[in-house]
Amino acid sequence: MIIQVQDLVKRYGDVVAVDHLSFEVERGEIFGLLGPNGAGKTTTIRVAMDILDPDDGSVTILGQPPGQAKGFVGYLPEERGLYRNLKVLDTLVYLAELKGMPRATARERVLSLLERIQLEDWAARKVRDLSRGMQQRLQFVASLVHDPQVIFLDEPFQGLDPVNVERIKDFIAGLRREGKTIVLSTHQMSLVEALCDRIVLINRGRAVLYGPLAEIKQDYAPNAVRVRASHVPADLPGVVGVEPDDGAFNLALAEGANPQEVLRALLERGVELRAFEVAPVPLEDIFVAVVSGEEAQGDGLA
Amino acid sequence: MDWHKVWVVTRHEFLTNVRRAGFIIMTAIVPALGILTLLFGAFFAGQARQLGALLKKQFDVSDTPIGVVDQSGYFSPILPQYQKNFVPYNSEAEAEAALKAEQVSQVLLIGQDYLETGRVVVVSMGSGFGAAVVSDSGTVRAFFIDHLLAGRVDPALRERAANPANVEPRVLSSGGKTQGEGGWGFAFTFIIPYFLSIFLVTTIFISSGYLLQSVAEEKENRVIEIVVSSVRPMELMAGKVAGLGALGLVQVLVWVASAVGFSGGAVALLAVAGAATIPARVLILGVVYYLLGYTLYAILMAGIGVLGTTMRESQQLAGIFSFFAAIPYMISGFLFTNPNMLIARILTFFPLTAPTMMMMRLPLAEVGWVDVVGSIVVLLLSIPAALWAGAKLFRVGLLVYGKRPTLKEIWLILKKS
Repeated sequence: MIIQVQDLVKRYGDVVAVDHLSFEVERGEIFGLLGPNGAGKTTTIRVAMDILDPDDGSVTILGQPPGQAKGFVGYLPEERGLYRNLKVLDTLVYLAELKGMPRATARERVLSLLERIQLEDWAARKVRDLSRGMQQRLQFVASLVHDPQVIFLDEPFQGLDPVNVERIKDFIAGLRREGKTIVLSTHQMSLVEALCDRIVLINRGRAVLYGPLAEIKQDYAPNAVRVRASHVPADLPGVVGVEPDDGAFNLALAEGANPQEVLRALLERGVELRAFEVAPVPLEDIFVAVVSGEEAQGDGLA
Repeated sequence: MDWHKVWVVTRHEFLTNVRRAGFIIMTAIVPALGILTLLFGAFFAGQARQLGALLKKQFDVSDTPIGVVDQSGYFSPILPQYQKNFVPYNSEAEAEAALKAEQVSQVLLIGQDYLETGRVVVVSMGSGFGAAVVSDSGTVRAFFIDHLLAGRVDPALRERAANPANVEPRVLSSGGKTQGEGGWGFAFTFIIPYFLSIFLVTTIFISSGYLLQSVAEEKENRVIEIVVSSVRPMELMAGKVAGLGALGLVQVLVWVASAVGFSGGAVALLAVAGAATIPARVLILGVVYYLLGYTLYAILMAGIGVLGTTMRESQQLAGIFSFFAAIPYMISGFLFTNPNMLIARILTFFPLTAPTMMMMRLPLAEVGWVDVVGSIVVLLLSIPAALWAGAKLFRVGLLVYGKRPTLKEIWLILKKS
């Protein structure tokens, strides 16, 4: 276990930002920390970064309290920037030194990282001379400059153009291959689906969904199949509704109906199938359903 | 506290700020002025005298004569030694015409009832400023006294009445020791240490100003959250206080060195002579108050710097503290006459004014041990309190973007911690 969040509570005055939150992050995985705005994600990360003290509960990173694990942890905050008037190389070396890396080692590592994000020619230039996209890539490597084992990325794709989103996405995947543990907080569900192994969904400071992404998606899969064919007969057994959707058909199944039987029935009737799949559920739909369900419940209670 | 990290911050702050255009310009301004003065002197050596005369004319009323319309009879004729500066006129109209023609700078209308009332009308062009200058002028006073007493009393007595006292200061300390005898002694014992202390106080604000700027910039650039995820706020503050304090010191040293260089060592001699005559107690306590004052203000500035969302906002917030520090300057006129007055003593025990107040009071008079010990204790207690509050404010401030925390929010967070 790399990160352990145990019964974490954090209040701002009367507002409870994090409410008895618990989850664990395993070594080498990309863990999604998800939730609507104001759910308590950034507060949780700030406690893990030793920027805030918890009111109750604890966070341990590599078995140590956050204050002692600073050197092993990298952080890309949501509100981020760099010293605009400093040179690229000096900025990154300073940030690495603050994490406890010796100056000479830091220099070498920074130069190799700059090469990796194709900014090696800019090492001696001031940060303010870089384009927005370049600065965003630079901020990203600033969180990795001291070769951390654990990296917290708070909205790393925010404000990026599609080309840079792809670059950062590949970079994150590369970090996983290197055995780094990554905690990723983002609102872009498609990227969570592409990258994360496990997730926790927080709402109003509490965990409302937690576990492997594949299992969660399976649990929330609707009872439906998606068929691409010239036509779909109306009286298929176990099918309660047929809805055309972008050249395909979504077939809603009766409770207890088996998709395999639907497939068999389609073949038996000679329907020419181009595609057949159990309807996937986008993570975004699960997110919206869970959060709005919670809110309705909360409103009801209120 | 990780001292290596403190050192990394110290070195970074010093090296990045020493290269800043603002710092270089501010530091270079004293040597540059010196060079300018030298060049000016070389090129305009011939014209310097004329220029000096021109400047003098702008600021000195005595070079343009004053018109006098005397109806009392005491001032006619004008005594020979005053004829250059005072011109008699027979009528008000004649005198006013001369005033309009700029032949005289003011006109004194002395009525028949002068002896009973002392009433003198001062007519001047443009503003009433001339009247104020005339009533304060030693020459004008002497003109009146000389004319009133001429031929009536002994010339020596007349001279004394016109110039009653040539003051030569001599100050006795409570220990019975004589200090500052004679003009130069007075300068060395009081004036030089006094200005030296003002100079040091100024450097406190220069250095803590850099600190404010440095923190506010990190906040504005939004790099601060990355920084505090790597170092503790206390370590960051300590590093900044040390690095920027060193920077302020470098600036002062450059200024002093250039002043010494350009004045051909005269300033150095004066400073050495001055330092030698400054009582050891004043010197040692001056350094103590300097260090305590800088530390307190630097910590406060760091805490405040992070509260604003932009540099300008932070500077506005810091203005409140600069105001407190400026209070001793505001009353410095009264301090000269009575350095141990009640208000000065009260301000000595208030942490925000204690360092400035004491540094100004120490050279001027023998300050009681109660005040010295009391103010040092107040400062020693305030510094950890400021550090604690500063670090808390730092945490509050750095998490608030786009909006300045309200006083209520700040209070709540301080109370809660």
